Amino acid sequence: MMNRRKFLGLGLAAVALAPTAVSAIDFRKTKPDTWTADDVESGIEALYGAKPTASDKITLKAPKVASNGGAIPVTIRTDIEAKSVAIFQDANPESAVAVFTVPEGGIVDYSVKIKMKASGKVTVIVEDKAGKLHSAEQEIEVALGGCEG
Amino acid sequence: MGNMKIKAKEKDGVVKAKVKAKHEMLTYNAAKKKGKEANFITHMMGKVNDKIVFEVSSSQFLSKDPLFKFQFKGKAGDKLVMTWVDLKGNTKTEDKKIK
Repeated sequence: MMNRRKFLGLGLAAVALAPTAVSAIDFRKTKPDTWTADDVESGIEALYGAKPTASDKITLKAPKVASNGGAIPVTIRTDIEAKSVAIFQDANPESAVAVFTVPEGGIVDYSVKIKMKASGKVTVIVEDKAGKLHSAEQEIEVALGGCEG
Repeated sequence: MGNMKIKAKEKDGVVKAKVKAKHEMLTYNAAKKKGKEANFITHMMGKVNDKIVFEVSSSQFLSKDPLFKFQFKGKAGDKLVMTWVDLKGNTKTEDKKIK
């Protein structure tokens, strides 16, 4: 029993967050460089080790002008069968905001509120089943910065 | 209780969920100004019947009391269990029955 446990544990060692988290992936632990990268390109590079191609299959919804940079609603939708979805932006000291792990057969329709300290560009990456990267981006004008809180 | 607000509603086999986690999400910059330590949610997970339906690794740039909306295939009556972990290792779990 112990052996089997150990064996299972090995495969998940890098990603196991809690004993109950059977297939959880904490990208902060598996890809630590992603979170310290200060520009979008190197953030994507650190996370996926590849470059994305712009795609019109991704719907990225965000306000063109955000009155409050402390809570900018961003919505991502796509029909691409995705493995993960990542949000980056280029206004804050580091570029990574969030990485969603899409469960098998999962629906990609995420909304989340993010912080931006100044106007900038939000870049969304969708990693498909084959590991190919698709991207969409949008400029957001921030009237009041959100990072100085 | 009171650490998370969870809403989950099923329609035609798809559950729409809204989760608001109560967390200061203090960035490094803001924390320095306030003379506090930075702390923010770093990982959040949603499970139904022990199966992961939602998962996100996050940075300091989510808004304060971050609100997530997401969808997954599921049915009413099941329980959605949400768990988050922050930078300091605090963790909170709350559940809600899917309507």
